[in-house]
Amino acid sequence: MRIPILKLYNCLLVSIQWELDDQTALQFQEDLLHKIHETGANGVVIDLTSIDFIDSFIAKVLGDVINMSNLMGVKVVITGIQPAVAITLIELGIGLDNVLTALDLEKGLEKLQQELGE
Amino acid sequence: MSIQSCVTIINEWDIVAARQLGRNVAKELGFGIVDQARITTAISELARNIFLYAGKGQICIDKLNEGGKVGLAINATDNGPGISDIRQVMEDGFSTSGGLGAGLPGVKRLMDQFDIESSPGDGTKIKATKWLR
Amino acid sequence: MNKLIYGFIEENKLDILNEWIETTKDNADDRVLRVVSDQVFTSTSREFVDLIISNIKGTKEDYTSRLTDFAEKVVRLGWPLTFVTKGLHTFGEIVFEKMEKSELVTKDNQMEVIREFGAWMTPMNNEIVSVYSTTWEKTVSLQKIALQELSAPLIPVFEKITVMPLVGTIDTERAKQIMENLLKGVVKHRSEVVLIDITGVPVVDTMVAHHIIQAADAVRLIGAKCIICGIRPEIAQTIVSLGIDLNQLTTQNSLQKGIETALELTDRKIIVMEGAK
Ligand SMILES: Nc1ncnc2c1ncn2[C@@H]1O[C@H](COP(=O)(O)OP(=O)(O)OP(=O)(O)O)[C@@H](O)[C@H]1O
Ligand SMILES: [Mg+2]
Repeated sequence: MRIPILKLYNCLLVSIQWELDDQTALQFQEDLLHKIHETGANGVVIDLTSIDFIDSFIAKVLGDVINMSNLMGVKVVITGIQPAVAITLIELGIGLDNVLTALDLEKGLEKLQQELGE
Repeated sequence: MSIQSCVTIINEWDIVAARQLGRNVAKELGFGIVDQARITTAISELARNIFLYAGKGQICIDKLNEGGKVGLAINATDNGPGISDIRQVMEDGFSTSGGLGAGLPGVKRLMDQFDIESSPGDGTKIKATKWLR
Repeated sequence: MNKLIYGFIEENKLDILNEWIETTKDNADDRVLRVVSDQVFTSTSREFVDLIISNIKGTKEDYTSRLTDFAEKVVRLGWPLTFVTKGLHTFGEIVFEKMEKSELVTKDNQMEVIREFGAWMTPMNNEIVSVYSTTWEKTVSLQKIALQELSAPLIPVFEKITVMPLVGTIDTERAKQIMENLLKGVVKHRSEVVLIDITGVPVVDTMVAHHIIQAADAVRLIGAKCIICGIRPEIAQTIVSLGIDLNQLTTQNSLQKGIETALELTDRKIIVMEGAK
C-alpha cells in the first residue's frame, strides 16, 4: 500500500489515512523525496489526523524525512497530531524539536504560506 | 486472575498484529483513548525490538483483575542474544541500531510498572503493566 | 411484648422527643451545634425520631428510603456518625426509663424487655452505620470528581486564545489529567495560543516544572503555542537553581502580560477607542 501524495500549486499534500506499518513508512519516505524532486515543490503538509499512535520507529522515519526535505530546501508542516499521540510521543521522549506544526490541514497550509512568504 | 492471548513475532507484520491485539484488549477493558495510545505504542516498541534484535519471540497480553483492580500486562519474551548492560539500554538515546533509543526508557514511562530480565545468551523477558484508573 | 414498647412510644412521642432533644443537645459537641441553627437541629431531630418510629410502624420500603434521605442530610450537615449512633442509644435509654417510671417494666418482664430492645435497636444501628458510610463515600467521591474538574478548567478568552489557570498542588496523576484536558481543549476550541497560569500553584519543584515543560511540548506538537504565566520570583529561583532549562518555553510573569503576548502572536492588540476619555 502506498500513501498518496497530492500536488496543490507549489505544495505537496499528504494525508495519512491508515495505520502505518514499517514498510509503508519507509516507502513513503522514498516516494515523498522523489515527488519533491520531480515537481519542484517548495512546501509539504503532512496531515496525521487519522493516526492514533506513533512509535519511535515511525517518529524517526517522519523526523528523517523532514530533515531530508529541509536539505532539499523544502519546508514541512505536520498537522492534526491527536492529543493522545502528542502525549505518548512526549512520554517516549520524542519532542520532534524544530518541526513546524499546525492544528489542521487548513491552518497548516496557512502556516506554510507564511513560512515560504518570509 | 488473568486471561492471556499471544502473538508470535517473526516478521514486521506481526508487529502490526501485536499492537492491534493490544489495542483491542485495552479498549475492551475500558482504557481511555490516551491510555490506549500508550499501550499500543509500548507494544509496538517491544515487538519491534524483538524483531530487530532477537529475530523471533512472543508478545502476550494479560487481562488482569487483582482484588478489583483491573489492568493490562504486556509480556515480551525472546530467546535472542540478551542484553549485557541493562542500565545502559534503559538510558534515553542509547541504541545499537541507529534508532532514537527511545524505546525501552519510553515504554517504562508510558506504563505503570516495568520489569526487565535479561542476560547475554539467555534471551530477554520484559513485563510492562498498566492499571485502569 | 413488642406491642408494649411500640404502643408506649406512640403514646408518648412528644415527651420522648423533647427529652431526647434536651439530652442530646447537652451531650452534643460543638461540631454538631456550630454547623446548624437551632431550628435545623430541632427539625432534624424530629425527623430522626420519626425515622425510628417509622421503623416500628411503616413499611420496610418507606423506612429504607427515609433512612437514606436522613443519612444524606446528616452527612451534608456534617454531623459525625457517633452523634447519630449515640442519639439512637439515648433514644433507647429514654424510652426504657420512661417505661420503668410508668411501671410498664417490672422485675418479671425486665429481662424480656431488654432483649426486645436489643432485637429492635441493633439492626437499626447497623443499618444507620452502613447507610451513613456509603452515603459518605459517595459524597467524598463526588467531591473528588468535582475537584478534579474544578482544578483545571479551560477558558477560551478570545478567538484562538485559551487560558488554563492551575490551582493547588500538582501530583503525577493530576499532571496527566491536566495535560489531557489541555490538549483536548486546544483541539476543541481550535486555539492557536494557550496560556497556562501557575499563579495558584504553591510549590513548583522539579517534578511540577517537568510536567509543565512536557505539557508545553505536547501543545506545540498538536500545532499551538504555549505561554506559561504567573512565574513568581521564588518560582523563577527554584527553576534556575534546579538547573531546569525553561528556554524553550515562552514565559510571562503575569496573566495580563501573557494575554498581550498571545494577542501579538495572533496579530491583534487591544487599543483605547478614539474619543473615549
Ligand atoms: N529484545 C532484545 N534483545 C536484545 N537486545 C535488545 C532487545 N531490546 C532492546 N535491545 C537493545 O537495547 C537497545 C535499546 O533499545 P531501545 O528500544 O530503547 O532503542 P532502539 O531500539 O535502539 O531505538 P528505538 O526503539 O528508539 O527505535 C537496542 O539498541 C538493543 O541493543
Ligand atoms: Mg526499540
